[in-house]
Amino acid sequence: MRILIIEDEARIARRIERMTNDFFEGNATISIIDSLKKGIEFLEKEKINILLLDLNLNGRDGFEVLSTMTSRSFQTIVVSANTENALRAFELGVLDFVPKPFDRERLFLALNRAVTLKKESNNSIRYLSVRKTGSIKLIDLDQMGYIQGAGIYSEIHLLDGSKELHDKGLDTLEKILPSGFERIHKSYIINIVQADRILVSSGSRYNLQLKNGEVLPIGRSRYKGFKQQFEKHFE
Amino acid sequence: MKPAYFLLFFAILCTSCKRQVFYDEFDPVFKTGDSIKWSVKNLDQKRWSVDRGFTGKNIFWVRANVKLISSVGGRLGLQVDAFGAYEIYWDGVKIGNNGKPGSINKPEIPGTECQYFLLPDSLSNIGMHTVALRTTQFSYPKLQRGIGLKLNTYINLIKRPLVISSVMFIMAGAFFIAFFYYAFLYFNSHKRSYPVMIFSIICLLFFSLLIMEYIKYYIEIPYPQFFIRLEIIGWLTFSISILVPLYFSIQFSLKRKLLLLSALLVTLVSIYIYHYGHYDISARYYSFAMWITTMIIVLEAIYRKEKGSFLVLAGMLASTVMNSYLVYDFGIFIFYTFIVFAMLYLHTIKMREIELAHESSLLLSSRLQLELIKKNIQPHFIKNTLTSLMDWVEDSPKQGAEFIQALATEFDIMNKIAEESLIPIRQEISLCQMHLKVMGFRKEIAYQWEDFGIKDDELIPPAIIHTLLENGITHNAPYQDGTMKFRLTYSEDLHLKEYVFETIGENRELSDERIGGGGFKYIRARLEESYPGRWTFSSSASNQGWISKITLSDTTI
Repeated sequence: MRILIIEDEARIARRIERMTNDFFEGNATISIIDSLKKGIEFLEKEKINILLLDLNLNGRDGFEVLSTMTSRSFQTIVVSANTENALRAFELGVLDFVPKPFDRERLFLALNRAVTLKKESNNSIRYLSVRKTGSIKLIDLDQMGYIQGAGIYSEIHLLDGSKELHDKGLDTLEKILPSGFERIHKSYIINIVQADRILVSSGSRYNLQLKNGEVLPIGRSRYKGFKQQFEKHFE
Repeated sequence: MKPAYFLLFFAILCTSCKRQVFYDEFDPVFKTGDSIKWSVKNLDQKRWSVDRGFTGKNIFWVRANVKLISSVGGRLGLQVDAFGAYEIYWDGVKIGNNGKPGSINKPEIPGTECQYFLLPDSLSNIGMHTVALRTTQFSYPKLQRGIGLKLNTYINLIKRPLVISSVMFIMAGAFFIAFFYYAFLYFNSHKRSYPVMIFSIICLLFFSLLIMEYIKYYIEIPYPQFFIRLEIIGWLTFSISILVPLYFSIQFSLKRKLLLLSALLVTLVSIYIYHYGHYDISARYYSFAMWITTMIIVLEAIYRKEKGSFLVLAGMLASTVMNSYLVYDFGIFIFYTFIVFAMLYLHTIKMREIELAHESSLLLSSRLQLELIKKNIQPHFIKNTLTSLMDWVEDSPKQGAEFIQALATEFDIMNKIAEESLIPIRQEISLCQMHLKVMGFRKEIAYQWEDFGIKDDELIPPAIIHTLLENGITHNAPYQDGTMKFRLTYSEDLHLKEYVFETIGENRELSDERIGGGGFKYIRARLEESYPGRWTFSSSASNQGWISKITLSDTTI
């Protein structure tokens, strides 16, 4: 597990480092950087799994780079004093927001979210940020039809028929997407608003027809759970 | 704009009155010598001269014909404006005297310039009449002043000056009160403003001008002293003509006022010299020069969209309308009254502005107080401090306790200075040192503090060095060897005090926050609050890190 801490308060950075180390029982490589600029330079070269980020660094408002962070493959956990910014951070797709001052339990909770597969609904997220040559594009969740896994990336299929590539894999995305985005297959997450009907064919093969006519497969193990969600949604 | 329309309307209203004409007046003729026969109505005037000539200490006669056109509707009276001492005859009948004509061995008892005579009913019929004056003019022997005759009912002639002076004195009274009010205002106000004083003086001058002008109706001035009054009026007009444009140039904050006003002064002096002795013409030219100068100032102010400039323009135009349509001799006073009204209105506008500025400065002071108090409770400071504190307490409780002590002391000092607008520099330094201790615990950097040349009791607005210190901690990183130093140096000379605050450490990437942020706004606002217009502040990168300079001066910079 590779972890980066961006925090300009030495004492706090060391506290986060110590606790994270405890959490991973020494099985993590942790780097500490005290400025956003150096952090971004670091991320150009190194691959990480989790970023622990202080939003207000050296007098700078970290929001200008937050969407750059959330568009990447790693999960971002914000550790900040300005709790009023929490909602804005969630909208941009951070995994968790740990308010200062924090104790061991609270930080562990956040790290737990990052490593377990269990989906927790983050209903505040409104956009997915996508890296496009040199810039960041924010995609409104309402504009998304479904997401298809593509190796370590994901392919987002938008309602207008276009596609965007996201650096996060389906497993990681699933954790930050709100309820209403359902995993129906190991390679598909759909926006339940766009689901039309479930098609059952011979040999217990299940498919989902979307409102635009496209048909996606439903995984056998996920069928039961999804059917419940589907019926609940259309009640 | 409404008062402007009102002024113009009032001006036009005032010009719409007319006077009825009862008589025709013919030019007088003169003859040196003395004969009682020269008083009769029908006399051969062929050998009489149209010029008086040099009469010296001789008696001379003046004869003039007047033709009564219509009945005046009452007892007829005659008003005579002439110099000298005389006996007066109406159609050969002596109707009175003004002073007593002198002779070679008897001195003259001077008469007044203006005198009224009641005419007998029997000689008041429509048609031609003759006025004859047996005169001496021992004073001003070379002055050939014309003779003015006016016919009206006696009661009207007597009453008219009363009516005019009553109106004029109401005006004069208003200016007299305004003079006292603004003089008191000037001497009692905390901040003495020159426009108030100038306005007060203008009110006094204007009051004096009105009094001097109409004093003639109720004080007997023998003709030898006649010009003293005119000379005084001349100088009053002269002073007003320079002060009015000065007032407007200050109120409208004109740029090159000295140049314009010097030009005006030169013009006024030239008028005085060139038209010396011609009092009415001088006064008119003075007023005209003043009007032109004021118009330049007002038009320039309108161009710059100065508040109240339109109203003043309306006042100026109204005064001109009045002046050009009113043939009465008090046209010029109405002209000035309009200008003074415009000044008064402008003054109230300016007072309102000062009031607003005062209110907003009070508001700003309390906002700055709040900002200072907020420094220590803003989330970024308090939450980061608490997080570090948590860590110290968990990790090494003894140092944690020390940390808490330092924080408590910083809060204490903050609390003490929160409501002050100036504090001793030593107290500010203690605050900075405590803050460094707190930040040292948080950032785990061995911050160092140095100060040189500090005079402990010198006053400075609270938390401005503290703000610079915070900036340094945020935007500078320690050098490779882990050190970071702050240095405050004080120096002064006769008129200037300077604080130089240096952050010795590596500058982080420059962000707009450092120079455009709330911190610098706070510093500037605090300096302006306590040293209005007498401070400078600069802040920039230096070869050692960052340097900020604050200068405080005795006089406006």
